[in-house]
Amino acid sequence: MNVALAILWKDLLTEWRSRDRVIAMLLFSLLVVVVFHFALPSGTRVGVVENAAGLLWVAYIFAANIGLNRSFALELENDALSGLALAPGERGWIFTGKALANFCLIGIVQAVTAFVFALAFDLDLLGIALELAGVVALGSFGICTAGTLFSAMSVRTRLREVLLPILLLPALFPVLAGVVAGTRSLIIEGNVSFEAIQLLLVIDGIYLVVSFLGFEYILDE
Amino acid sequence: MNAPALRARGLVKRFGALAALRGVDLEVNYGTIHAILGPNGAGKTTLLRILAGLSRPSGGEVVLNREDGNSIEPRKARSEIGYVGHATLLYSELSARENLLFAAKLYGVSDARQRADALLEAEGLHEVADLRAGAFSRGMAQRLAIARACIHDPKIILLDEPFTGLDRPSADRLAARLDNLRGQSRALVLITHDLCLAADLADRVDTLIRGRVSFQASAGDITLERLEASILGPASSPPQGAEPSDAGADA
Repeated sequence: MNVALAILWKDLLTEWRSRDRVIAMLLFSLLVVVVFHFALPSGTRVGVVENAAGLLWVAYIFAANIGLNRSFALELENDALSGLALAPGERGWIFTGKALANFCLIGIVQAVTAFVFALAFDLDLLGIALELAGVVALGSFGICTAGTLFSAMSVRTRLREVLLPILLLPALFPVLAGVVAGTRSLIIEGNVSFEAIQLLLVIDGIYLVVSFLGFEYILDE
Repeated sequence: MNAPALRARGLVKRFGALAALRGVDLEVNYGTIHAILGPNGAGKTTLLRILAGLSRPSGGEVVLNREDGNSIEPRKARSEIGYVGHATLLYSELSARENLLFAAKLYGVSDARQRADALLEAEGLHEVADLRAGAFSRGMAQRLAIARACIHDPKIILLDEPFTGLDRPSADRLAARLDNLRGQSRALVLITHDLCLAADLADRVDTLIRGRVSFQASAGDITLERLEASILGPASSPPQGAEPSDAGADA
């Protein structure tokens, strides 16, 4: 566990100093919101409310893809990835540290994006902010576990920018199904069904166990 | 102890159709510096990465003998191996001290701060300890990389061309440091292109040519002329007194 905390500390500190990942993700997700704002005809508030969850998660997923791609690409500088691979003990803790750092950084981007999205589409998300944060966190957890694993898998390939979304997006279909349904019912009805939460918890649990165990072999050349 | 610290038997490594290593045997003892020479592309770095447990061999095995007599694969004894690669393994955004503290946390070093400070002092980096590693010159970064490799007090230290980019005083300081580590019964494997250095420092030398050990020599037999002859290739047969382990394979 100490290894995971060390990696979390290192990733957050390096990001605080460089700010390259958060700024890239944030700019991208905000641009997506702006594109949606201009793409959707004005005066169609009902349609926007019904599709807000899907639109929001499109912005989230593609922004997360950028951040996840950079997550291990940063470790290629000075071959720091080998330094991680040399660490003794269970390599799953390296995965845990990287996934936690991704979760924190993507979480910041998601919070700002949700705020701007609400302004752009005149949505009142303040009343459901806490519940929304919970659902988004569950979805983000699944994205970060699978995404961190696939990011490590693709980082040493020539086509890593292309390979990551090709691997990641199909794996995220179950997460997206649950999290979009949950977010949608929150925005429209003001509450979320237990079935949606249950589905997300199960998927997150599976992704966590598979990624933790699978990571042992991912860092090998 | 009598058992070698590291023993490799019949190591083979293939990258597709290319065989980088073709049956390498190696024994490294505690309290010795084992130099590995060879031209570019001979398989030296591949061999070192297998010894470090960073890469799996396509064939053969590596066994690490602990000082308590137990044998184990390097992959399962990573805490006993220190590695200095071609690259420094450092994070540019972190300071020298933060890099060492991070490495110490990875290895579960209990007195991390004291250990980091002691190593910074030993490498002459204490005055720049709070500067970002990205601002370091090649020589300073290399010294920090060596401090990083030693943070967990490893019994076996693998060094891939650690003298590259060092000026004369730094190289002398590193040579003295390696000599000191040998005196502490560490086993050191040193890849270098510097034949003078190998002749001066090493207790044993293996020359790799195209993935095979073509020349071996022990302390007393190691001279600059013999090492030069071992590198030159087909024209040079192993000199008298040397032990050709795979005579005529490629050399």
